[in-house]
Amino acid sequence: MSTPAQVWSYRTLIANLAQRDLKARYKKSVLGWVWSLINPAATLGIYTVVFGFFLRAEPPAAGNGDKSFALYLFCGLVVWNLFAGVINTSIASFQTAGPLLTRTYFPPECPMVAGLATVLLQALIEVGILFAVMVLIGNVSWTAVIVVPIFALMSCFAFGIGLVLGLANIRFRDVNYLVGIGLQVLFYATPIVYPLTIVPDEYRRFMELNPVGSFVYAMRQVLYSLDVPTLGNWVVMVLTAAISLVGGWVIFSRWAPTVIEEL
Amino acid sequence: MAAIVVDDVSKSFRLQKDRAHSLKELITRRDRQSGADQFWALRNVSFEIPEGSMFALVGHNGSGKSTLLRCIAGIYRPTSGEVRVSGRISTLLELGAGFHPDLTGRENVYMNATILGMSHRQIDRVFDEIVEFAGIEEFIDSPVKIYSSGMYIRLGFSVAVHVDPEILIVDEVIAVGDAEFQRKCYDHLYALRKKGVTIVVVTHGLDTVETMCDGAAWLDHGELQLVGTGQEVSAAYMRQVNAEERRERDEIAAAAAEEAAAGTDGPASRRMEDVRITDVELLDGEGRPVSAGVHGEPLTIRIGYEAIRPVPSPVFGIALHSASNVHITGTNTRIGGLDTPTIEGRGHVDFVIDELPLTSGDYELTVAISDTYIQHNFDRREREWRLPVRHGGRMEPEGLVDLSGTWHVTAGAARVER
Repeated sequence: MSTPAQVWSYRTLIANLAQRDLKARYKKSVLGWVWSLINPAATLGIYTVVFGFFLRAEPPAAGNGDKSFALYLFCGLVVWNLFAGVINTSIASFQTAGPLLTRTYFPPECPMVAGLATVLLQALIEVGILFAVMVLIGNVSWTAVIVVPIFALMSCFAFGIGLVLGLANIRFRDVNYLVGIGLQVLFYATPIVYPLTIVPDEYRRFMELNPVGSFVYAMRQVLYSLDVPTLGNWVVMVLTAAISLVGGWVIFSRWAPTVIEEL
Repeated sequence: MAAIVVDDVSKSFRLQKDRAHSLKELITRRDRQSGADQFWALRNVSFEIPEGSMFALVGHNGSGKSTLLRCIAGIYRPTSGEVRVSGRISTLLELGAGFHPDLTGRENVYMNATILGMSHRQIDRVFDEIVEFAGIEEFIDSPVKIYSSGMYIRLGFSVAVHVDPEILIVDEVIAVGDAEFQRKCYDHLYALRKKGVTIVVVTHGLDTVETMCDGAAWLDHGELQLVGTGQEVSAAYMRQVNAEERRERDEIAAAAAEEAAAGTDGPASRRMEDVRITDVELLDGEGRPVSAGVHGEPLTIRIGYEAIRPVPSPVFGIALHSASNVHITGTNTRIGGLDTPTIEGRGHVDFVIDELPLTSGDYELTVAISDTYIQHNFDRREREWRLPVRHGGRMEPEGLVDLSGTWHVTAGAARVER
């Protein structure tokens, strides 16, 4: 079983793997890394038009009293993208690293951590854009620093799940498809494109069981409403992150070598 | 001190057919019996590889060599037993493994070297050496997908040997390169060994095992057959391969004879080669069969053949090895300038030596029959016959071969004054 310390000793490899992924991603494209700015901006634009103009969703007031559905949406979207990105990338990373792992030895956690790093980088760019817009409209407060622990916890939460799904995907390629559907369901089950307040009370109980909702809510609190997350939020975030990361890591470390042999 | 200790290592794989590949299968299958279809790739293998030696693993395809190599490299975990390794390992199991086609040679070198455990600064130091050894200076900043397979191999090998390993593990990759690069690789491996690097190779080249390896292990169906010096192991392995080939030939011939007796033309006779070697005889100057040659006397090597179909202009060849495995000579009817006719049925070909230039000792004779272009061997019997050579009454030179030159002294060279 690989310990975090062993994986850390391969940090140069992790950095290189992450770098390779990033470089390969934008090779042969004219705009290159600019796409990592355009993509979230386009998504933001689409959701704004659909939910803001056509469906006329009413967002709660922001910290400075303004109402902007686009920004309200984007706060949730940033943390969701981190969640979905980590899971999808974990599945892809393990699949891509498979042939390499059968030919040379290195801890199989390395490509997973590298994948996590590339997604985190993308998420930081997105949150950077968001923050820049917030500064422009004058909706900022010290609470923005809380983004750091929220991101860290979300990374741990998603990474643990990603490790297990990445492993399972090698055995059963169905996992990839199931995850695609599952993420879509979860996306709409989480109050991202709509506020939780529009959900009828009797269903809200169930919706609150979804831990991703806690992260989305916390993110909106600190960047949009300029408030702090509730204690309940913190408990959910810390607990789910810890359980997911430790569980995922243990399962992955235990089974990855066996799965690699059967590639 | 042993750099690598393989201690009672066994490794089993579950056969693929025993496994569910989709969730549906997992749920719907009823015959799930785990462990029913196990395949043992290695069984109770134990040996030690001393530090600073070059060690070969030999055996047929599927004998477990590569599995063992992967166990040593840490890629596979033994099912039971243990591999103890002391030193930093660099592996070369597949050349250019981990090269990303879209990235440049430079980027891939850094990538590959970090996989092998080097830091960025260490790579900076040897980067130029790596590129120079691979000989691809002008292409280093091009994406590797435009590389020829030779360039790919050279770069991969170059990275693996420049990462300053203490233990280097090499699968049959070197065989892929051209002759010049192979020599360069072996020279480099030799230099590394001199520096004290332990090298483990999997190879089919018995010459390599004989001449370069300090030790070797022979695996067959996952079981260790023999551990010894390179020469011992390659000789034993060769004997076994010959014996198996002979048995197979005899079986085919027997089956073909049966079919012929039954008047049918079955699969065995179709599998039989057009022509085969029936026997090899040694004859003296008067044409009498002898059991040994005599140094300096005439000797004829008579190769009997049987062609079941007409074969146009086949090439007959012989090769000689000393008992100490030195390849002394090899020649054939093409080199000898003989245009063989189309042959059919039984017959023989003679190789006539006027004065046998071999000094007394034991030699091994290889005989082969191939097509006109020497592309296909109809029959090849590797070191199957012994050619003992006896002392011929006159003084013998040292070594294996009598060059049978004559000495001349130019007058005046020896002026004796007393």
